[in-house]
Amino acid sequence: MPLSRLTAWLLLAPTLLLLVLVFLVPIGWFIGGSLAELGTLSEIWEEADAVLFSGAVGGAILNTNWIAALVTLLVLLIGYPMSYALSRAKGLVFTAILLCIVLPYFTSTIVRTYAWMVLLGRNGLINQILLGIGLINEPLQLMYNRTGVIIGMTYVLLPYMVLTLYAAMKAVDQRLLQAAEGMGASPATVFLKVFMPLTLHGVIAGVLITFILALGFFVTPALMGGPGDIMIAMLIEREVELTYNWPTAALMTIVLLTVTLILYAFYARISDQGEARR
Amino acid sequence: MTDTMILPRRLLLGAALATPALRGAKAAGEVIVRTPGGVYDDIMRQHVYDPFTRETGITVRPVAATGAKLIAMFRANNVELDLIDTGDKQLLALENMGALAPIAYDQWRWSKPEDIEPEVKKTYQCGNFTYATVLAYSKTAFPNAHPNSWAEFWDAGRFPGPRMLADAATGSPNFEFALLADGVPKDQIYPIDIDRALRAMTRIRPQIRRFWDTGALSAQMMSDQEVVLGSIWNGRLQTLIDRNAPLAYTWNEHMIQVQALGVFKDARNKEGAQRLADFMMQPNVQAAYAKQLIYGPTNKQAQQFLTAEEKARMPGGENSQRSGFYQNINWWEDNRDRVNRAWSRWVLR
Amino acid sequence: MSGGASVALEAVTKRYGTETVVAGVSLAIPAGEFFTLLGPSGSGKTTTLSMLAGFVIPDEGRVVMGGQDMTQVPPRGRGLGMVFQNYAIFPHLNVAENVAFPLTVKGAPKAEIQARVAEALAMVKLTGFEARYARQLSGGQQQRVALARAIVAHPRIVLMDEPLGALDKNLRFHMQVEIKEIQQRLGMTAIYVTHDQEEALTMSDRIAIMDGGRIAQMGPPREVYEKPDSRFVAAFLGEANLLDVTRDGALVRGPGGGAIEAGAGQGTTLFVRPEKVTVSAAAPSGGPNQLPGQVLHASFLGNVVRYAVDVGQGATVLADAVNGPGAVLHAPGAPVTLHWRAEDSRLLAA
Ligand SMILES: Nc1ncnc2c1ncn2[C@@H]1O[C@H](COP(=O)(O)OP(=O)(O)OP(=O)(O)O)[C@@H](O)[C@H]1O
Ligand SMILES: [Mg+2]
Repeated sequence: MPLSRLTAWLLLAPTLLLLVLVFLVPIGWFIGGSLAELGTLSEIWEEADAVLFSGAVGGAILNTNWIAALVTLLVLLIGYPMSYALSRAKGLVFTAILLCIVLPYFTSTIVRTYAWMVLLGRNGLINQILLGIGLINEPLQLMYNRTGVIIGMTYVLLPYMVLTLYAAMKAVDQRLLQAAEGMGASPATVFLKVFMPLTLHGVIAGVLITFILALGFFVTPALMGGPGDIMIAMLIEREVELTYNWPTAALMTIVLLTVTLILYAFYARISDQGEARR
Repeated sequence: MTDTMILPRRLLLGAALATPALRGAKAAGEVIVRTPGGVYDDIMRQHVYDPFTRETGITVRPVAATGAKLIAMFRANNVELDLIDTGDKQLLALENMGALAPIAYDQWRWSKPEDIEPEVKKTYQCGNFTYATVLAYSKTAFPNAHPNSWAEFWDAGRFPGPRMLADAATGSPNFEFALLADGVPKDQIYPIDIDRALRAMTRIRPQIRRFWDTGALSAQMMSDQEVVLGSIWNGRLQTLIDRNAPLAYTWNEHMIQVQALGVFKDARNKEGAQRLADFMMQPNVQAAYAKQLIYGPTNKQAQQFLTAEEKARMPGGENSQRSGFYQNINWWEDNRDRVNRAWSRWVLR
Repeated sequence: MSGGASVALEAVTKRYGTETVVAGVSLAIPAGEFFTLLGPSGSGKTTTLSMLAGFVIPDEGRVVMGGQDMTQVPPRGRGLGMVFQNYAIFPHLNVAENVAFPLTVKGAPKAEIQARVAEALAMVKLTGFEARYARQLSGGQQQRVALARAIVAHPRIVLMDEPLGALDKNLRFHMQVEIKEIQQRLGMTAIYVTHDQEEALTMSDRIAIMDGGRIAQMGPPREVYEKPDSRFVAAFLGEANLLDVTRDGALVRGPGGGAIEAGAGQGTTLFVRPEKVTVSAAAPSGGPNQLPGQVLHASFLGNVVRYAVDVGQGATVLADAVNGPGAVLHAPGAPVTLHWRAEDSRLLAA
């Protein structure tokens, strides 16, 4: 039963109000107040020019995009088969897989990070095993560098991809796959010509949501990364916390927010199309 | 020492802007104090806050807040705490914004202003203890010869192995040590030649596993042998050593930094804050918490309450006179923008 | 044209858990025949078809096509054309791409694909719809796409599972004719599933009526309609009078005690179709198969008047009288005599 417009708005009202109060108002206050400090529009523009095209910001933006892209790719490659298994699983197996994916979210970031240290550290479990079986002679550096950031972010973002893909895969009409098989398609062809295209909107949505989330990542790269693994959100934090240079932080925030909103607009369109298909 | 938690600044904005009023009904009878949190609060409660309450009837409530949150409070005209117990550099920044009231030395009843080390006794802030950033090493990695100076720390050929240094996020990157390693005499470190410091940093960078940004992380990396050499706060390291970790450090070329007290000029309980500061500076009180924190008292009279072994573990005494140096926070505060820009750019290379 | 291939099921059984869904079904379908599986919902039609298609592997028995054992061959090795119960049109492909699918997966040359798709679309009268997507087509058009896709590769055997189930009556009739025509033109063997008996009668060369996983009866439409072997088949295919009769030695007696002569059969249920029963106002003449009764009601259906006649002992007989020249209408309550020919009736097991 489709909700009337009014009912929908009424149901959304508390959430919207909360968002406006605890999110929009403070952000507006922060950005507005900080930029006002700079003075006129042309002065703001001058500062923006200086900030955004200075070496650090450019580097961080490059870093951010590169890391986000790499993580998104990895998450997709790992998440796709995982979601497929999940969409096929029933009963206990389904619950088990789902639990494995979601459970880590019930532990705090600190606990998770210490778990990573135990696992990935120089004297961590993985290095000990690899050294033990003689596969390596020197411990691998799996943490406090780009590898660590990628591992950590991939892990944290995986559920978003898996759950998005799961929804798309679950919605695929199994009879279409059977029909394709009946028309002479091999399992590989069924997958490539029917299953993949039918889940493509899910892939695009999953990629966008993962990428959007990855762009704003702060905690994981800060904890798992090395000296050079600075992402844009970390730079913003530095400007706020270390330099007390809030106008600069505000400008970077606007850039990040704009990019995010543009990507989100794509995401919204694609999920709508996915809905319409069904 | 502006933080002890591992994620100090993550919730910065939300927390700064959305915190509901901290103050309850018993406003007049309560002092709210910003602290680094964690074990620090327990030690201070035992040796300072509870005795203070017994003496005056004023209760003390410690809360955690980052530097940016303090600034946000001041700017939003919504100062929600009275006393600030934080790094001296942080307080200098607040002072420069006009956020602080002068320390009321003339009103002191318990402590004598003339007993306070002159280096830390300032108009708008008063140091309550000193801590040192020292050169630490793993006894497992270096059972015999170990680095004894920053020049040797920089010598990866003689002393191989992964290292760590402080990130700008701790308040200042270890430019001082880089210059010492590069041959600059201790008394000519300031004004820091940023380019020269970064050039020296570039030489050691391949050996740096990570620039630590929190005290907890630095301790974790040392105790996990994730690094075999590092700069670290003496108290953090001493705690590990006391738990039998195979670690050691040298007092040679240590940098003394100051934890200090400041009072918000718009504080609701300014008077209570001034009194708590006075109370905290007493020789016996300082000696008691300094012993446990393993940091140095700033009241000269506190030394008499400490044993020789206890003094040997702390900065500020003979150790420091012989081989340490005070960090020049004025230079850092004056060059905050320049340093952070240069650092961010350098780190991203 | 490639023509058809023969199809056979040999004592095929399929169980799901403890439930036997198809129980020892055997059929032999000669090449080019239009064969229909007819039966109520849940009788095992789709399961039987799925075993022919290869989606379901039988627990027992063999599937033979063109003389070759196909029991274990996967669907793609069977070379069948198929129309699915819900069309199964790929939403991400347009009409032309959908129809081309069986050829594309085989890796047919582009030119051939184009030609065959055009031919198939012409056959189902969808030329000009190539670029449309399923969501832009009506139910009937989607059905034609499914049909075109089933025949595009000129399969020797085409399986159709209730292809017209979702269409309205007019369209159904229209499509029945088209499907039959295409099947005949291409000479394919067609195996068709429906639970609509009229559709089965119109289209098929032979019909197998399924009941509870078994074939109740199999034969040409007229035979299964006029000579049912069981009450189930008699009742399932259209209207049937099923009267309890009694045996008195060699004599068979109807509800009023009158003598009954049946064309065939041994049981105690008399079967006769309503259209085989005549209604007259005259009194019984004393011959066999004459039942006196009273009109309960008369339904005027236009070309036919359907009478329900009370023949005593709680039994009612339906009789269809053609509304022909000079036809007389018997009013409710009027006494009438019913009569049918012995060869139009059968005695079935109770
Ligand atoms: N995969 C399966 N697992 C368990 N039971 C099944 C399965 N497929 C079919 N059945 C059962 O087998 C019986 C026959 O099903 P089938 O689909 O062959 O019937 P049908 O004659 O095609 O019915 P309809 O006219 O409703 O399509 C039903 O009782 C059904 O519930
Ligand atoms: Mg069916």
